[in-house]
Amino acid sequence: MIGRITTIQRMSLHDGPGIRSTVFLKGCNMHCGWCHNPETLSMNPELEWIQQKCIGCNSCTEVCPTGAFSLKDGKPDFQKNLCTSCFDCLQVCYAEAINKIGREVTPEDVFTEVEQDFPFFSNSGGGVTISGGEPMLQPEFTKQTLALFKKAGIHTALDTNLSISWKQYEKVLPFTDLVLADLKMMDNALHQKWTGRHNTTILENIYKLDASGVPYFIRTPVVPDINDNEAEISAMAAFVASLKNVKNYELLPFHTLASCKYTNLKLKNPMGQTQDLSKERLERFQEIVKYTINHREKGGQTEDTE
Amino acid sequence: MENSFSYQSRIDHLRSRKFAQTREKIEVEGLLDEDDYGRVLPPANAWKSIPNHPDGSFYGLEGWTQNFCSLMDSHPVYVDPNDAFAGRWVYFMSRMRANKWNPNYPFDHLKENIEKYDIIAGIGDDAHFAPDYKLGLSLGWQGILDKIEHYRKINTSPEQIKFYDAHEQVVKSIQGWIERHIDLTEQRIQEETDPKLKANLEEMAETNRNIVSQAPQTLREAIQWIIWYHLASRTYNRDGAGGQIDEMLRPFYEKDLAEGRIDREKAVYMLACFMLNDTIYWQLGGPNKDGIDQTSEISFLILDAADKANCSINLTIRVHDGMNQELYDKSLYYLIKNKNAWPRYSGDKALVEGFMKNGFDAQLARQRIAVGCNWMSLPGLEYTMNDLVKVNMAKVFEVAYQEMMQDKSDKPSTERLWTIYTPHLAKAVRTAADGIRHQLKYQKYNEPELILNLLSHGPLERGLDVSDGGAEYYNLAIDGAGLAIVADSFAALQLRIEEEKKTSWEEVTYHLESDFEGIEGEKIRLLLKNSPRYGQGNSLGDQWAKKIGEEFTQLVRQESNPELRHTFIPGFFSWANTIGFGQHVGATPNGRKSKTPISHGANPCPGFSKDGASLALACAVAQIQPGFGNTAPMQWELDPTLATQDQAQLIGSIIKTHFELGGTLINVNIMDKDQILDAHKDPAKYPELVVRVTGFTAYFSMLTPEFRQLVVERILES
Repeated sequence: MIGRITTIQRMSLHDGPGIRSTVFLKGCNMHCGWCHNPETLSMNPELEWIQQKCIGCNSCTEVCPTGAFSLKDGKPDFQKNLCTSCFDCLQVCYAEAINKIGREVTPEDVFTEVEQDFPFFSNSGGGVTISGGEPMLQPEFTKQTLALFKKAGIHTALDTNLSISWKQYEKVLPFTDLVLADLKMMDNALHQKWTGRHNTTILENIYKLDASGVPYFIRTPVVPDINDNEAEISAMAAFVASLKNVKNYELLPFHTLASCKYTNLKLKNPMGQTQDLSKERLERFQEIVKYTINHREKGGQTEDTE
Repeated sequence: MENSFSYQSRIDHLRSRKFAQTREKIEVEGLLDEDDYGRVLPPANAWKSIPNHPDGSFYGLEGWTQNFCSLMDSHPVYVDPNDAFAGRWVYFMSRMRANKWNPNYPFDHLKENIEKYDIIAGIGDDAHFAPDYKLGLSLGWQGILDKIEHYRKINTSPEQIKFYDAHEQVVKSIQGWIERHIDLTEQRIQEETDPKLKANLEEMAETNRNIVSQAPQTLREAIQWIIWYHLASRTYNRDGAGGQIDEMLRPFYEKDLAEGRIDREKAVYMLACFMLNDTIYWQLGGPNKDGIDQTSEISFLILDAADKANCSINLTIRVHDGMNQELYDKSLYYLIKNKNAWPRYSGDKALVEGFMKNGFDAQLARQRIAVGCNWMSLPGLEYTMNDLVKVNMAKVFEVAYQEMMQDKSDKPSTERLWTIYTPHLAKAVRTAADGIRHQLKYQKYNEPELILNLLSHGPLERGLDVSDGGAEYYNLAIDGAGLAIVADSFAALQLRIEEEKKTSWEEVTYHLESDFEGIEGEKIRLLLKNSPRYGQGNSLGDQWAKKIGEEFTQLVRQESNPELRHTFIPGFFSWANTIGFGQHVGATPNGRKSKTPISHGANPCPGFSKDGASLALACAVAQIQPGFGNTAPMQWELDPTLATQDQAQLIGSIIKTHFELGGTLINVNIMDKDQILDAHKDPAKYPELVVRVTGFTAYFSMLTPEFRQLVVERILES
């Protein structure tokens, strides 16, 4: 069984409880404008060029068969549209300015790589998280990987946009201790506009997840000028409050740390001009969430959320 | 009882005064790449040493006794009405010599290899083992004099009579110094107009009158006694070793509490004054000899006091299975709150199990505690030369590499390089061990340990200096430095030349000799530098690090001699010598440029890990532990974005896991990268910024620009 991943991030602290290793799978069925992992969008391996690391030795321009790397003002320049992903340049770039994003691994490879951090998991209540991209685009690989860790007694989490057929989720949930589910916005038209997909399946799947008994968190990226308004946040909070078994609802503030990834991948950054969500605004939205959930609780319509 | 505000304002005053004194030291004496200590500037009419040798230096019993007593007789006295305790130290007496080794006992036979392998031989170095403060607290100065008198009657050779005379004179000179403080305090009482400060001075005077001869009875007397001994020992030869501070002070605190002499606030005030007095290395928590955790109420008060003092502080929390979780949590809280490089943590499991492998039992092993920069010691029981003897393994590598390339009789290979490297490493270790043996034979004629002998079990009883058979144990330390440089160099050569064939031995040698000059040089340097390094986890570099570490460990162990009671114990540590060692080594095949610093202690080279560096570091350093009870510390530059109170448990879990994996000691810095860059540009702007340079802390503003640069790079690349 082969899966395509970009990286395994050690000491991940934001993808579930404790110290975790997060496996980022390559390929996504959504194209969210604010994506902070643009290297996971395409299922295919691709090339990144970190210009700051380039020492100008010109070795890449000498081996590139298509002219994707060529000299511009005496220095190497990269034109992605000419790149055929032959990766010949990779072999001659000793400065590691050129990197291949995406590698093929087996679930056993992932297990072996993560294994060294098991002692940290057990002391911190952590584990492994399968993320992406959208991991459920590689359901069999995701299932087998989760199953390996589950069998070893390691806490497993699945970070998904919940937009895939529920039948696929039914196959992986027996090996999943925690689901991290995305809820990006309630307005279906806006959802379609900003992610490329409608949210009907997602909302249906959240209800099914809620009924499944598998612990889960809901997480919402709060993005300036997209969903950072009280109406949208209130609507999502009200939806979360209507759920019975959700363990946590978390707002994730938009940040600009991923902008260099777009530059290195030569991708257009739809949020290139957008600033970080301010701490004050985030706190305001957190207050709204808290108020909405507490209000619903008092009406006896929902159980406790943290 | 006085209110807490007045205690706090006094502590604030003492802190401000300490920072002013540090600034004065920088202005007058310049920068210094070591601990701040609590030393204050000497007066204008400074004491001058009295030579007893034609080379202008002073040596032996007579020289050291004469100089120390003369110095104590004229040592400035120091009383601050806000302080609970009198006294500060002023002189580095051991640095006021023209020469640190008596030329009558030459070691010329070792000098060639010392230079060839860049060994810090430690010959003529001093202290770096621990006194047993409990002994002093139970005897008092008169008790020590009585002990000298007692054994003088038993050990009666002429040399021993001189030995006892010297120690008696030393004790009496310390008592004279204390008496002069009493005089000054009484004078200050007359002058003081503030009733609270006057009352404090009266208590200070009474405290000192009580302990100038007799053993201390109260917490205040006990701390003041420790301060006097410590300041004398610092003055004599910069000794900074402490002990199990909480358990040492607990009986005094509990008695004071029971008899109504003290409350919690006053105890914290006194302990804060104690912390501000000097940067002694103390251990907190941890098991007693029977494995029972020693945490008590005063352990927590010491942490609270350190928080109030919050200066350069060397407290180590001993982490073990039965530890007090509350103390651990509180220590993490203060680590994160103050971001001032304290406390640090030592791992009981590996230290105890490792030390037992030398043939000692668990009870003894548990008493070997964190009382020095990178080191453990059995208070009062051993002579160690901890942190004094170091082999520059990167220099040894350079010698081997050059020999291989010059000898054309066979083709170069990493296998051949290893067969050349190991005998050179063996010669280097033998030279270091011979240096220690030379020291053990002649140090008594060079620099007897007149102060540390007093609180050791054996020297007075036997009439022998602690370096000369007086101690119970001789657990002798040799540290390897530059492990990561050597491991990464072997890995880079193996991968890039032998496996990938991307370069050749000739090409690498050419670029090493030209220090990777030019664009082609830089290209090859990056090819080598980007090879799988030590610290990346199961990498080629990790495999080499393990192999080199095991070889070094075995070579050091081989120097032991049970008949002579010599147990040699390996460690990996470079102290602040990374710059000096680096200057003696040309470019290396790990992509390091000529004369740049070597790797820090047991740490991988900076930038070794792209993410999860903390876990990678914790795993790597745990895997290369020599495993015989000395340390290979993990120097942890913790990202401040991670160091928040809600992540305290995660930080705690990394510390615990490192120790479960075999780690021995963790030094932590939590530095904001922008702040450290700004402080590097303008150190005076951050007079209170403390960094844990290696095992010791220092004010960043006191470090030389070269050392600041090193610390900055380490933090930026973490």
